Amino acid sequence: MFGRRALPFTKEIRERLNQLDIAALRRRARDAEKELFNLGITFTVYTDRDAIDRILPFDVIPRILSPADWKIIESGVKQRVAALNAFLHDVYHKQHILKDGVVPSDLVLGHEHYREEMRDFDVPHGTYVHVCGTDIVRDEKGRFRVLEDNGRTPSGVSYVIENRHLMMRAFPDLADGVPIADVDSYGTQLAHAMAAVAPIGVTDPTVVLLSPGVYNSAYFEHVYLAREMGAPLVEGQDLVVENDKVYMRTTNGLQPVHVIYRRINDDFLDPEAFRPESELGVAGLFRAYRKGNVTLANAIGTGVADDKAVYAYMPRIIRYYLDEDPILDNVQTNICRESAGLAKTLANLDKLVVKPVGEAGGYGVVIGPRATKRELRELKALLESDPANYISQPMVNLSVCPTLIGRAIEPRHVDLRPFALTGDSTWVLSGGLTRVALRRGSLIVNSSQGGGSKDTWVLV
Amino acid sequence: MCWLGRYLERAENIARIIHINETYGRDDPHGPDWRRVLRLYSDEERFDAIHDDASAATVLGFYVIDRDNPASICSAVLAARENARSVRHLISTEMWTHLNIFSSAVRALSAKDLRLSNLSVVATMVINGCQSFEGIAEGTFLRGEPWCFFQFGKYLERADQTTRILDISYDRLLLDKEDAVATVQWNLLLRSVSAYHAYRSRHPGLSRPHDIAAFLLYDTEFPRAVALCVSRMTTLLRDIEKRHMKSGGAKLEKARRSLEFSLETGPAHELTPVSLHAFLDGLQIALGDVSDVISEGYFR
Repeated sequence: MFGRRALPFTKEIRERLNQLDIAALRRRARDAEKELFNLGITFTVYTDRDAIDRILPFDVIPRILSPADWKIIESGVKQRVAALNAFLHDVYHKQHILKDGVVPSDLVLGHEHYREEMRDFDVPHGTYVHVCGTDIVRDEKGRFRVLEDNGRTPSGVSYVIENRHLMMRAFPDLADGVPIADVDSYGTQLAHAMAAVAPIGVTDPTVVLLSPGVYNSAYFEHVYLAREMGAPLVEGQDLVVENDKVYMRTTNGLQPVHVIYRRINDDFLDPEAFRPESELGVAGLFRAYRKGNVTLANAIGTGVADDKAVYAYMPRIIRYYLDEDPILDNVQTNICRESAGLAKTLANLDKLVVKPVGEAGGYGVVIGPRATKRELRELKALLESDPANYISQPMVNLSVCPTLIGRAIEPRHVDLRPFALTGDSTWVLSGGLTRVALRRGSLIVNSSQGGGSKDTWVLV
Repeated sequence: MCWLGRYLERAENIARIIHINETYGRDDPHGPDWRRVLRLYSDEERFDAIHDDASAATVLGFYVIDRDNPASICSAVLAARENARSVRHLISTEMWTHLNIFSSAVRALSAKDLRLSNLSVVATMVINGCQSFEGIAEGTFLRGEPWCFFQFGKYLERADQTTRILDISYDRLLLDKEDAVATVQWNLLLRSVSAYHAYRSRHPGLSRPHDIAAFLLYDTEFPRAVALCVSRMTTLLRDIEKRHMKSGGAKLEKARRSLEFSLETGPAHELTPVSLHAFLDGLQIALGDVSDVISEGYFR
């Protein structure tokens, strides 16, 4: 499982951990959590009278990835980002993939996140997904599999960097002499990627980070990244469009803006082009964008590529554009709009997880092994009446990592979200956000459902 | 940015005022007169609407931990922290970290921390917390426009608070006929604004009410003196205007001039409780005007 060079280090780290008794580990973990509050690495929950700060629970036992494992993930993520960008370019231009019948037209063109406004518009370097977060799990055979591509405004990268700082302060002895890939360069890499996609002819672009503001749960991250990039943090009201050019209001008057790393969804970006009631966006921004006077990262309309239904086609999308086999597999997915997929699903209903593609947040998902006979009968009827609305997947046994739970170390399920940046080429931050389901047996790593995070060490 | 400076300066001064009020009352058989603090901040009406009596517990609760009172230490510090969050990208990491730690300590204060025997500890904690922030800012905060506004807010609030501290003390102390007691009290006043040694170096030996008031109003080297605060405000405004390459406008200039004028034409030579009170009132109004114009002019 581990490369030859990595093995001694993994063993060494395990031995060092073993030398700390549980009480000491617990104490250091408590100090680390306190420090998260002190440093304000928090998201804020607002009630009527109060602003309550919460932290993303932090587990002090790092997750370790060998150089060989990391090579697979890194190259697999790059491949996927390349395919996503090629796919987005195609569906907003000539639509070869739809005409060739590789991905069904109605699936893409009828998608709620498909933006007809983006047709025949060329984005710099053909990059639509500048920042990508790929959710990856490891199955029972140790193979990495992609659960989801996040190609709109993925968040969490600030925790990767802060978790590392925290770990190095709380456990300098644990990492001493172990060669761990650094994560500190994310801010400069992000700034480079943003500068690389500036409109043509702009040599010294002004990059800004557009945030929905202080009430957004990821506001800490917006501030963090703006500071790491050395870019101004702005809100919609700080920007103005004149003659299809974007300017930032400063106390010295208007200053031109060339690239906007936006952490606001498409719908809210421009009340003129999208939701008219949005107060977060900038009127006229889309016109300026279409004229090529400003670059938005990520591009508008990427939501069509990071959806459950399109996900099922990703292996074919990769082969279609890159003529390569996928380096990272999907979780095996049966596409019920296809007869073979439907037949296989219907024959194994009691073993599979069936998901409606149009729904988000787990709504309408039926877990075969846990469903009653009657539920399965109803599901069968639904599948037969509208097969195109469903996909099915086997239950995945997520891998586990040792995790400090109370006064013991126990196995808990984890996933991994590496972050890829693409300007004119793709760079992947070593490691990524390891999320851990802190409840025993739980497969759900989301922070809203009892999930926490770990530092991820890629050995070099 | 202006408000960040103001909120913390305000929290620090509320702590100073309740501290000195408690100290004044130590020799009084009836204990400290807490209504005096309410009068000082013109808060009697608001306070009486929710409390039946002005005891140590109710007034201290009102000014230290009451989150429904926007003028409490807790409200000011939490507001400072919320304010810092919205300008987090402009301030230094150390400033932010300190404010997180400080605000969570203030948030944790409860009624049982406000026993008179413990009040000194709490007041010192608040004063130290605010001063540390100021020191960290001095050492880590970029000297750009945000710094200017931060400093401006601080001096504006400080000038206002110094006039109030003087106001709370002056009439009471002038009525105190017994010199020995009065001297002790005057010294306490000086210590409450960290002015004791500074004043001594100017006036060795004697604590005369008139000298003390003049010192707190007109000294140009003592950092809490009104004159110094006002002159710093002017310098900062000039600096901001230079950065903008335009003036702050006629209205601002007028407000600023009228503040300077009301300071210069004070009853420096014949300070009676009545004349001083009226004068301090006028100063507070002039400071309020500058504050209003600034918020209109520079922040939408």
